[in-house]
Amino acid sequence: MQAVSAALGVVTLALLLAGCGSVPSWPDERSAAAIPALDHGATLSLACSGCHSPAGGAIPSLEHRPAALIRQSLMDYKAEADGTTVMHRMMHGYSEADIDAISTYLARSATP
Amino acid sequence: MTAFAQTRRELVIGMAGIAALADLSPKAAAQMKARLVVVGGGFGGATAARFLKQLLPNASVTLVEPDTDYYACPFSNLVIAGLRELEAQRFGYDGLRARGIDIVHERATDVDPVAHTVTLGSGAMLSYDRLVLSPGVDFIWGAIEGYDEAAAQVMPHAWKAGAQTALLRRQLEAMKDGGLVVMSVPPAPFRCPPGPYERASLIAHYLKTRKPKSRLLILDAQDKFSKQPLFEEAWAHLYPGVIERLGADDFGRVIAVNPAVRTLATDFENVTADVANVIPPQKAGEIAHRAGVADMTGWCPIDPITFGSALQPDIHVLGDATIAAPMPKSAFSANLQAKLCATQIARVLAGLAPEPTVLANTCYSYLSDDAAVSIAGVYTNEGGKLKSVEGAGGLSPSGSDPVIQGNEALQAAAWFRTITEQTFG
Repeated sequence: MQAVSAALGVVTLALLLAGCGSVPSWPDERSAAAIPALDHGATLSLACSGCHSPAGGAIPSLEHRPAALIRQSLMDYKAEADGTTVMHRMMHGYSEADIDAISTYLARSATP
Repeated sequence: MTAFAQTRRELVIGMAGIAALADLSPKAAAQMKARLVVVGGGFGGATAARFLKQLLPNASVTLVEPDTDYYACPFSNLVIAGLRELEAQRFGYDGLRARGIDIVHERATDVDPVAHTVTLGSGAMLSYDRLVLSPGVDFIWGAIEGYDEAAAQVMPHAWKAGAQTALLRRQLEAMKDGGLVVMSVPPAPFRCPPGPYERASLIAHYLKTRKPKSRLLILDAQDKFSKQPLFEEAWAHLYPGVIERLGADDFGRVIAVNPAVRTLATDFENVTADVANVIPPQKAGEIAHRAGVADMTGWCPIDPITFGSALQPDIHVLGDATIAAPMPKSAFSANLQAKLCATQIARVLAGLAPEPTVLANTCYSYLSDDAAVSIAGVYTNEGGKLKSVEGAGGLSPSGSDPVIQGNEALQAAAWFRTITEQTFG
């Protein structure tokens, strides 16, 4: 039984490596654009969700905010050289293109 | 390698060969489920299990963690200082179970990276297509002469939260006013670089408010430390005369202890403590060494894009066990690394190449019951290593502004609620 189950693992892996493995819930597993959770903006935004949740409070929720508003806030943090918050210190390290991708992703995703 | 394992490996290779010849349609392949095993139920492992299941709903995701209750280290210094109850640090795995993750409450005792199997304490084995190890740290017992697991019952480390946290708190509560508390800090790297100094701040808060004739001595194997200007400013401002620190240059490194009489020895002197908190030198958790993913430093080299082991195929390593500097060994880092690792595994299983990104870290440290400071960092992971982005990150402003430090204390509490909800909820 152990041997059979281990063997199936290798079979699965071999198929995955050959590009045959798939996740049927995705419309097109060959296109990153078709898998929103795996695109560049989603990946960048993983750093946000450790602190920001729908519960809000001392760290505001990012839900239901338009992309333009999120983008403007992040660009303001980036521009304010003498800002004192964690967000100022972090946004100094993100490019405008990163901020565009994050804003677009967060605005279309209820739970980043 | 045992005869049994050898036989199994030959059989596996044989069957893979047969499978390669078989005409399996893509539809048949789609019905096969990737088997993903995660070892370690802390901020790295629990987050990885959750996001793997979320991104790959058809995969089987198994989380191996011996304990049914997890006690979080962040905020546990508040418990030691009597400002928070240990119960608020306790999290379970029902939330992950409800998301379809198999939780196995056993210790992973071995990994065979060739056969792709994890051995459990009961002797049972799990086969994996991909393995994620998030084993945290283990202590190097004996690195400080006389400091072993028995000594830790007298001179607690409290560097893994739970019973040790409660023990150190009880010892402080039982200490007479006028007593001497001694903390021993190990050389870097260790879990939570600013943690010892947050702990010193909060123990000083307890002494100042409850036992004002008492003192705290920090015997430190480090010369410089995380958030040093902010901590030193706070100690002078909030706790004048309470905290004394001897760094490595001042012969502060503890080389031996004697729990029978609660003494700590440096190269220069013997100190007798009323309460002694010995934080021992550390290495990656034991299973990382069994799996062959740790190197001679005792820690685990990784590819910074996928967090794949640099030493073994199809094994990823997360969190405190990794060599990820300049990313610190923090809960935030482990949680983010887990989400990135899960995303990259999902990309690879979907036929996409792993993709570099920008990473970040934030660590809050309390200075008192209502003031905190933070350190932040932003990192890139291209070119085979993690690099700090210049001009970004850094410390909260100096100047002990009560509004800024009060806001950071509130933000710290919000962060704890969110990250524990995302990890265990």
